[in-house]
Amino acid sequence: MLSRVAESLYWMSRYIERAENVARLLDIGLDLELDSAEIGVDEGFAPVEIALTILACREAFPAEKNRRSRDAVLRFLTFDRSNPQSILSMIARARENARGTQESIGVDVWSEVNRLYLFLGGSRAQRRFARGPSALFASISHSCLLLDGLVQNTLPRDEVYHFLQLGRHLERLDVLCRILLAKCPSLTGEAPGPEVSFQLVRWTSLLRSCSAYGAYLRSERERIEPEGVIRFLVLNSDFPRSIRYAAARCQDSLEAISGGDDDAYGCEAERILGRLESDLRYIDVPEIFDRGLLKFLGSLQGTCYKVSDQIQQSFFLM
Amino acid sequence: MQAPHADEKAVLFGRYKISAYDEMFGSEGAPRAHYAPLFDRLVDMGAAEIERRHKVADLTMRHQGITFTVYGRDQGVERIIPFDPIPRLVSSSEWDRIQRGLTQRVRALNLFIRDVYHNRSIFKDRVIPAELVFGASGYRRDCVGLRVPKDIYIHVSGIDLIRDDRGDYLVLEDNCRTPSGVSYVLKNRQVMKQLFPLLFEEYNVRPVDDYTDKLLSVLRHIAPDGCDEPSVAVLTPGMYNSAYYEHSFLARQMGVDLVEGRDLVLDRGQIFRRTTRGLQRVDVIYRRLDDEFLDPLAFRPDSVLGVAGLMGAYRAGNIGLANGLGTGMADDKGIYPFVPDIIRYYLNEEAILGNVETFRPTIASHKQHILANLEKLVVKAVDGSGGYGMLIGPASTREQREDFARKIEDNPRGFIAQPTIQLSRHPTFVDGRLDGRHVDLRPFVLYGEEIFVLPGGLTRVALPEGSLVVNSSQGGGTKDTWVLHDAPSSSFSPSRAASAHDGRA
Repeated sequence: MLSRVAESLYWMSRYIERAENVARLLDIGLDLELDSAEIGVDEGFAPVEIALTILACREAFPAEKNRRSRDAVLRFLTFDRSNPQSILSMIARARENARGTQESIGVDVWSEVNRLYLFLGGSRAQRRFARGPSALFASISHSCLLLDGLVQNTLPRDEVYHFLQLGRHLERLDVLCRILLAKCPSLTGEAPGPEVSFQLVRWTSLLRSCSAYGAYLRSERERIEPEGVIRFLVLNSDFPRSIRYAAARCQDSLEAISGGDDDAYGCEAERILGRLESDLRYIDVPEIFDRGLLKFLGSLQGTCYKVSDQIQQSFFLM
Repeated sequence: MQAPHADEKAVLFGRYKISAYDEMFGSEGAPRAHYAPLFDRLVDMGAAEIERRHKVADLTMRHQGITFTVYGRDQGVERIIPFDPIPRLVSSSEWDRIQRGLTQRVRALNLFIRDVYHNRSIFKDRVIPAELVFGASGYRRDCVGLRVPKDIYIHVSGIDLIRDDRGDYLVLEDNCRTPSGVSYVLKNRQVMKQLFPLLFEEYNVRPVDDYTDKLLSVLRHIAPDGCDEPSVAVLTPGMYNSAYYEHSFLARQMGVDLVEGRDLVLDRGQIFRRTTRGLQRVDVIYRRLDDEFLDPLAFRPDSVLGVAGLMGAYRAGNIGLANGLGTGMADDKGIYPFVPDIIRYYLNEEAILGNVETFRPTIASHKQHILANLEKLVVKAVDGSGGYGMLIGPASTREQREDFARKIEDNPRGFIAQPTIQLSRHPTFVDGRLDGRHVDLRPFVLYGEEIFVLPGGLTRVALPEGSLVVNSSQGGGTKDTWVLHDAPSSSFSPSRAASAHDGRA
């Protein structure tokens, strides 16, 4: 496959995955804020606002809006074209990438990306937002999931598919790290925390931010407590939004792309990911806490950047 | 039962005026035989229903990104081409003549190009002044003596036809470089089938969807010698080109790569594409890029769209190019008046499809006539396209006419003039009713092992009332063109038409 096309597919997939995550974060954040208005808004933990940290665009948020109204933050992260991390900006970039690869992804996938972009940029999305943003976020999430469904069910398992999967899962890995990094300081005592009574709500919110609440309850069959949550979100091998799962899928895709066998690796990215995967397979939660959760997550994110860089080197700059 | 029918007719056709040659209605105002069932069906359906389906069509096109880019500020604006849901019907006998005429024309033009770059017998025999060809902007000295695969230069052409006031088809313009629009032909058809399935079924319409198969065979046919499984690619200038949708559509339908210049590289005289698994050879390129942008080494050094060294690979016979290089001189408007002579010279036949009467300022008497009649004529720059660089006399201002008069004096070789022809008109859905709008027709011709004329073509519509300009860049729209298999009388019995009519209640 053309390197340019591979690169576009990879980025298209990353942007869609991230847009979906932002939509979900905002939806759940909004829900939490409405539910329990008293949760420490003043400590920078306002669930909607924390998305600014997760997306590293707190600085970019217009300073003149000194009173960060919830509505302003939501609009900034949803519709603001000047904010590269807004859902609309990301879908616009996904759409540009899709437009340049229509002949690879097929009419179904392309039309859906295009439709989502036209919807978000149009007046219908604005009206829906005004009536209550939650429904808008849900429909954005659904469109992104529909796109994944179309990819799964209309594309053959060739390079096109695997570059799409690679982008999606690497982005998921990255976003999971970001969410955990943003939400964990106040949870693990590494930063001054609030009273214990709030903790449960917060761990629950963390799980929900990762679409993991129901699955956690069923799988762990235990109360929500820090060790269990970290084990589930970082080390679980079967849950599609765990770090280990995302890393393993990246590796599967890379193997399929480079056509390497089990005993060797085809490129540097594959080697780094292979090592990460075996780390996640054999480490346990006490060791993570021993090393320091934030330090652990930080190095995980560093690995993520390295992999991304190596993919660029091996496939796109040919 | 009759009452609503009459009402609908009053709404739909109430303000319809017949002028020029009307495609649907004869001089007595009754629908022509092959249009009668369509007429009935439209009246049955009614304005509101046509409107509804029209909107569905627009939405489909918008969602699928079936757009073109209008140049202007920034990087251009993506628009959908206005689509008119009323199909144009071409009877079997009309089409037969068009098909024979186009085949003849393309065959002769191809022989002409080969001759100009090799023997030049047409100049020796004084059929065409040599300086006219050598002065054409599409003439490429680099192609002199260059043998191209199977001696085919014009693999894809789109030849614009119009009908005069008697309904005769005339060639308005030859497009032998990279004619656009075939993707709209194929997409319009898909949309029409969804919009009007019953109507479509009633008419016995010749299919168009094998176009891309045929195009792929043509491209494979011109692969370098000894290349059994040629690797084919479509070369696009990129996403901001106005015809990008078409490039991407064609690549997708043929299942080949859509490449940009930066995806290709020359290595030891051969062209390769950069892939995730290293360099892979390309054997045939369907290029949708003008000659001068193809190779910065051979032509414009500032072009970043092409591939450095492509010309060398072409000359060495290592790459097949469609269309061939240097075909632009054949569709130069300065050559156009000579095409009937070209046909006579190479094929020893009379042209089946006529030309529009054309005046050339290089001839003194013509120039005099042109300058004296500017307000009645259409003046065109010989190397212009897309409706740019034109003067439409009857719609022009005194200033514009003076401007063109100066240009013609300065550069007589650079212009031609034609009488303003009232292009035929076709019922078109405007503001909730049907109105006559001027149309032309661009059929597409493929030249590979044999010459194939796609039964159909792009009917372009001048949407503003009274306008004669059909180009999409100038606000034109399109409609589907149905070439019918049989005479309509055999596929339509009166009873069927009547029952369709009754079905409305």
